[in-house]
Amino acid sequence: MIEVSDLTKVYPGAVAVDGVSFRVERGQVAGFVGPNGAGKTTTMRILAGFLAPTRGSAVVAGFDVVRDSLEVRRRVGYLPETNPLYGEMRVEDYLEFRATVKKVPPARRRRRVEEVIDRCGLRERRRSIIQHLSKGLRQRVGMADALVHEPEVVILDEPTLGLDPNQVRDVRELILGLGRDRTVLLSSHILSEVERLCGRLLIMHRGKLVASGTPEEISNRLMRTGRVRLEIRGDGRAIKAGLEAVPRVARVLWSARGDLNTYLVESSDGSDLRPELFRVCAGRSWEVLELASERLSLEEVFSIVTAESPGGRAAASGGGA
Amino acid sequence: MRSFLALVRRELGTYFVSPVAYVILTVVLLISGLVFSHLVARMVEAAVPFDYSGILAVILWLFVITSPLVTMRTVAEEKSKGTIEIALTAPVPEAQWILAKYAAAMVLLLFLALPTVGFALLISRYGQVDAGAVACGYLGVVLSCSLAYAVGLFISALCSNQITAGILTFTVAFLLLVTSILAGQVSSSSAWSRFIEYVDLSACYGDFVRGLLDVRRLVYLLSGTVFFLFLSVRVVESRRWR
Repeated sequence: MIEVSDLTKVYPGAVAVDGVSFRVERGQVAGFVGPNGAGKTTTMRILAGFLAPTRGSAVVAGFDVVRDSLEVRRRVGYLPETNPLYGEMRVEDYLEFRATVKKVPPARRRRRVEEVIDRCGLRERRRSIIQHLSKGLRQRVGMADALVHEPEVVILDEPTLGLDPNQVRDVRELILGLGRDRTVLLSSHILSEVERLCGRLLIMHRGKLVASGTPEEISNRLMRTGRVRLEIRGDGRAIKAGLEAVPRVARVLWSARGDLNTYLVESSDGSDLRPELFRVCAGRSWEVLELASERLSLEEVFSIVTAESPGGRAAASGGGA
Repeated sequence: MRSFLALVRRELGTYFVSPVAYVILTVVLLISGLVFSHLVARMVEAAVPFDYSGILAVILWLFVITSPLVTMRTVAEEKSKGTIEIALTAPVPEAQWILAKYAAAMVLLLFLALPTVGFALLISRYGQVDAGAVACGYLGVVLSCSLAYAVGLFISALCSNQITAGILTFTVAFLLLVTSILAGQVSSSSAWSRFIEYVDLSACYGDFVRGLLDVRRLVYLLSGTVFFLFLSVRVVESRRWR
């Protein structure tokens, strides 16, 4: 369980995290998204006990990150964004060392190391020196390290950064497995990944939490203009004029392929236009092939909530890989 | 305790994975070996007793001068490579982390100083060696290095570039060895000259090798070590709040 309230971190000359509050329950996978410099990494570092907040509090696995830092660190598995490792060590020795430092009881240590080696697919490379490994393999070593002490809370900063598609799939499966009985907080630039993995989204921008909830909740809340998608066969121009005449319709976008027309109808006040549109179409006997409310894609949500104050930062979003 | 030992083992490992341990060993054995053979030759020519304090002085100088090689990377490298982030998000108190680095440096010192005991053993086969004075001299070497390593660790904790840390530590270590030369520049009765005489490692060592265990010297070296280790821990702890 992670509970954050009014968390603020001020660096000299910059506010990295500005009054952020949220809660992630056990058995939930929450995803942090936001442009570079939004404060995701700083927040995660505070939750992992690496930095202390300037103001506000954070409780992780039942302990305060400032007062009971050691208890928090004992219960958190943390994979930093840069995935730093002691490169001169061998995979197996490194994991054994980390298990000892993370207070895994000696009787269980060997077994835990074997388990994470298997779980992260490192069996063939267990005797390799870490700095000789490829980026993907090193990322797996970092994952194994984060999990070796069976943490209650797992914090992963960009876990799939720099991995090839197969490795990304493996890591996703691993995370979904973790989410069954642990609290997982991850950050990512890849929106489709977050949407697939996370039951809960936390969108940060310029140090503030600008949106949180399930992907559906967020996109519904942000749908200021209810949008309906229509496919109608017939005379495109006449139909467009007809649709525009419907009350509360603000805008109609039209594209045609042959006599098949696709319309995107936006309402002026965010209300649901579907019943009204159905009546109009039925009244004029238009041949309607499709009538559906259009949900915002995560990319659209992201660009809406992070575009309000364009200062160059929002433009850099998604370029972090 | 178990995690402390694991940390010490890892630190020690880095000395032997990198050339540091071998470089220091080579420098110390080569130079002290040359001095030793020179002293033996003089002993034979002039038919005087072997002067063991000479060889100990060289050993002390060599270990103190090479102390930057031992300590410069300890904290600075973890900061520049980012491994401090995994080190300090494990349930390890900052004090334990620093002490493990200090302990590893001291174990390395004992390991590297061990072969030089061979000189004493060699002499004792053919002539007289004052075992007490030699043991006392080695105590002086260990305690002086202890202070030098604590200072080096502190400097490394302040820097995020190990070369900077190395150069600064070298400067301080060198000054600690030669302050007695500076003492000649100030009037002998002033507080400055007493201070300089107090902090000078060569003067400390002079007492030790004569078999003189002066409490003032012990207090200086041990309290200095504790003081700089304490400061190092504070520096590392303060990182969380910056």
